[in-house]
Amino acid sequence: MKSKGRFSEFKKGMQPTIKELKFTLKKIRQSPLSLIGMSLVSFFIVIAVLAPVLAPPKMADPFLIPYGEEYVTIPEPPSQLHPFGTTTGKIDLYYGCIWGTIYAFRLGIIVIAAILLIGVTLGLIAGYYGGLIDEVIMRFTDIILAFPGLILVMALIVALSQAINPFTGQTWTKIDAAILGIMLVGWPGYTRLIRGEVLRVKTEDYIEASRASGSSDLRIMTKHILPNAIYPIIIVASLDLGTMVLFAAALSFLGLGAPPRYADWGQLINQAGNWVSYGLQYWWTFVFPGLFITLFCLGWNLLGDAFRDILDPLYRRK
Amino acid sequence: MGLRDYIIRRLLMVVPIMLGVVILIFAVMQLIPPESRASVYITDPHQFQQIDIVIEQYGLDQPVHIQFMTWLNQILHGNFGYSELLGGEPVLEGLIKRLPATLEIVIYSAPLIVLFGIWLGTVSAVNRDKPPDHISRITSILGTSLPSFFFGIMLISIFVAQLKWTTLGRVTNLGSILVQVNTGRFHQYTGLFTIDALLNGNIPLFFDALKHVALPVLVLVFIQSATMVRVTRSSMLEALSKTYIVAARARGLSRKEVIYKHARRNALIPVVTIGGLLVGGMLTGLTITETVFRFGGIGNWAAMGAISLEVAIVVAYAMFSAIIFVLANLIVDILYAYIDPRIRLG
Amino acid sequence: MEQENLVEIRNLYLNFYTYDGVVNALDGVELDIKKDEILGLVGETGCGKSVTSLATLAMVISPGMIQSGQIEFDLGKEKLDLLNIKERDRLKIRGKQVAMIFQEPRAALNPVYTVGDQIAEVYYHHRKEELTKAAISEAEKDVKNAKGFKRSIYKRELSLLEKMLKNPKSLTVRFASKIPILKRFQNRIKLVVRKDTVELLRLLRIPDPQRVIDMYPHELSSGMAQRVVIAIALTCNPTLLIADEPTTNLDVTVQMQILHLIKELKGKLGSSILYVTHDLGVVAELCERVAVMYAGNVVEVADVMAFFKNPLHPYSQALLESIPRPGQKFVSIPGTVPSLVNPPIGCRFYDRCRYALEKCPKVKPELVETEKGHMVACHLYHEG
Repeated sequence: MKSKGRFSEFKKGMQPTIKELKFTLKKIRQSPLSLIGMSLVSFFIVIAVLAPVLAPPKMADPFLIPYGEEYVTIPEPPSQLHPFGTTTGKIDLYYGCIWGTIYAFRLGIIVIAAILLIGVTLGLIAGYYGGLIDEVIMRFTDIILAFPGLILVMALIVALSQAINPFTGQTWTKIDAAILGIMLVGWPGYTRLIRGEVLRVKTEDYIEASRASGSSDLRIMTKHILPNAIYPIIIVASLDLGTMVLFAAALSFLGLGAPPRYADWGQLINQAGNWVSYGLQYWWTFVFPGLFITLFCLGWNLLGDAFRDILDPLYRRK
Repeated sequence: MGLRDYIIRRLLMVVPIMLGVVILIFAVMQLIPPESRASVYITDPHQFQQIDIVIEQYGLDQPVHIQFMTWLNQILHGNFGYSELLGGEPVLEGLIKRLPATLEIVIYSAPLIVLFGIWLGTVSAVNRDKPPDHISRITSILGTSLPSFFFGIMLISIFVAQLKWTTLGRVTNLGSILVQVNTGRFHQYTGLFTIDALLNGNIPLFFDALKHVALPVLVLVFIQSATMVRVTRSSMLEALSKTYIVAARARGLSRKEVIYKHARRNALIPVVTIGGLLVGGMLTGLTITETVFRFGGIGNWAAMGAISLEVAIVVAYAMFSAIIFVLANLIVDILYAYIDPRIRLG
Repeated sequence: MEQENLVEIRNLYLNFYTYDGVVNALDGVELDIKKDEILGLVGETGCGKSVTSLATLAMVISPGMIQSGQIEFDLGKEKLDLLNIKERDRLKIRGKQVAMIFQEPRAALNPVYTVGDQIAEVYYHHRKEELTKAAISEAEKDVKNAKGFKRSIYKRELSLLEKMLKNPKSLTVRFASKIPILKRFQNRIKLVVRKDTVELLRLLRIPDPQRVIDMYPHELSSGMAQRVVIAIALTCNPTLLIADEPTTNLDVTVQMQILHLIKELKGKLGSSILYVTHDLGVVAELCERVAVMYAGNVVEVADVMAFFKNPLHPYSQALLESIPRPGQKFVSIPGTVPSLVNPPIGCRFYDRCRYALEKCPKVKPELVETEKGHMVACHLYHEG
């Protein structure tokens, strides 16, 4: 009986939410900005899925951009062979941008998933149990939030690059360190959000009733509290997907992320930095990757905004 | 609760946070093997040849709590280590030396961000769903999606490389300025070239320095004001929907008077809370923007340090940023409590 | 004796343009407010009474828009159609000849300004000339009585005040108002305002007015806050006071106090009051005449005594029946208010009316006088 499980309880609690999500999708189609967001995101999803077809990988690691036999330093303009042109070392920008999409999604999804896992769990525990546990968790979030943006991540990258990665036996690569760093720094926001939700809902009668009828804490959390808190999570997570990718690109640009020749938008712009002093002569080296980052972020931002506009009245109605 | 109690409580909260920050940085440092960590304690470049002695001296192989005390002690005496970048210098000195450059960008961007953000946010709210609103919403969404380094690079390729309107760095000819400083013909009162140029009566230099700082400021303002516009807009919309606005209009005040005298006062109160976020955003933004424009401020310095895996630089930068950020949030919180009479008078 | 009309509202049509469609909120409202009377405006939520009261100030809250109609106001010297004049001129009337008090007192006050500041704002806005003149005469007295150095200071203040009277927007005046020492000339006006404000607060029986002036709205009890709101409304001795359910959100005891206060003030000031409410008890207590609204129309108008003795419109009858009485069953009116997005063509009360005739759903009844001073919009009474 109990083995029916937390998940089915969660699903039951989600039923009204699923109906509202369908309503949400309908509303999205009505606003022009959210339509743009939706189309951008779909566009990138399509590219990511079709990448092996659009740009067949030639190396063992598909994220390593293929280069020609001779090492050509100067970037070549867009041509039939290289639709977006090439950058230093005859690196194909088209390939880089296409596979960069998968790279971005992969990074974004892994990071967000980890952050949600840590953040939501800690937030639930802090809000539900209160007292000392709450204080400790909250102080910890305060400390992490005391560092603006990327600075703690930078410190972590520098530190980890000189430490041994237990999974590989070698020192951390910068990109792995960057991913871990962003994960470790991104969860506090969600914890506070969920905790706020829990505190709000904790005092409502149906929680008391549930507890009186003997439901376990976990059950209450998954069946009652979590489904109510989904909305703000969706909003922030979709906004964050764009932001995390932006952060990672910035780190790569500074040289603290993906290694050279890798299909990472930020890294490509880093390469382009060498050619900026020639003015717009080699525009393709930075315009294409830059556009990809901007539009990716834009899509998720618009989508997140759309969710916020639509879910907010729904949310307040509760 | 009363304002005084609130301020005291808030001040007290800062202490455990700062302690936690220091501990966290220390913990991150501990991930690094002692030989690489040594630069954080070194005061003299010669010591780089004698790492073992350094480890011995500062007990880098001792138990963690002892190491923490040693390090804390060093910090409190101003020893943040030594960096080998650019000929080498003590880290604390490096930070202080480059602070004016960063300040130069900050003093122009910060007021612009606030004024522009509040103005555009107000215009947006007052003209809801009409063209000005749409334009400002698109601009602010772009501001949050456009990577600052991409924007910076585009500006450079157009204005620096193509149009040759200005160059990278703080002034066109740093060398000759430094010569003038050394020979006493140019006095550096503040370290900020724009202001010093004015104080020295050197008008061409003033415009030159201004042109150089214009592009980094543009990047920062464009990106940071986006948040400001959003928050002002939603805050104004909230204020405009209140009954006292209708009441004010029923007293014969014109729409304009009502917006600027009544709605805005109320709307700006929540906007103050963004001040802290803004400082944080600027700190991160500066790291990238200074690097892109080779401005030589602390952000630039920290980025270079990070790439070269200079632990000491990154540690110092992290602590500095955290302190500034925490202080900014503290000031913002107290300011907020003060200007809202509902909180000030309990 | 026939009283004159202060306000005549005719053919007022107002729509709200919402996402769900166009809401036909006011459908040809006709209303007269006589001089020196208290007129009650009753109806259930959504009938349009609040909208009508705001419209009397020619104010509409978006997304509403007045389609057509006249709101004729007898200002003594002239008669104005509020809907036909420029907004600039309307601003001179609002707050001065017509003033409004609201349902939620603390919400009607701006939380970041003190009570004194908010009352002073009305003074400065509408009575600046008068105040400046008063300050000038004070200054002239001071100039006469003072000697030497002080005399020259007062002289300068006097000249600044006179300049302000002649041309308030002149550069000299604006400049002087910002400079620390010079701007003291405004202090005289501030003193006059403060004195008047204290008097006003005393009139409204607010205890310790000197202290209250410097308080913020959230520091006041709702009863006090409502008195402050009324004070603000009375600053310029308006000829018409519009009260939009001002006692609904107050405790019963405070309610009684405020009602008494309003009655007393009306006697002293000789203004008319349009009292919007859904509470028939208040109407009986306070009003001289009453108008009933239903779904965007005025359906009955009568003297209060006549109304309670002999309600004509079926809706009015149902309303009076539904007042809970001890020992009786709880009666409510069956049905609901029709949607105003696609309003019915004929009488809007048709589907809830127990006397419905055949012509009711087809033709809209007009407001017609059946007995002296008693008007009703119902086909039952039109046949003569």
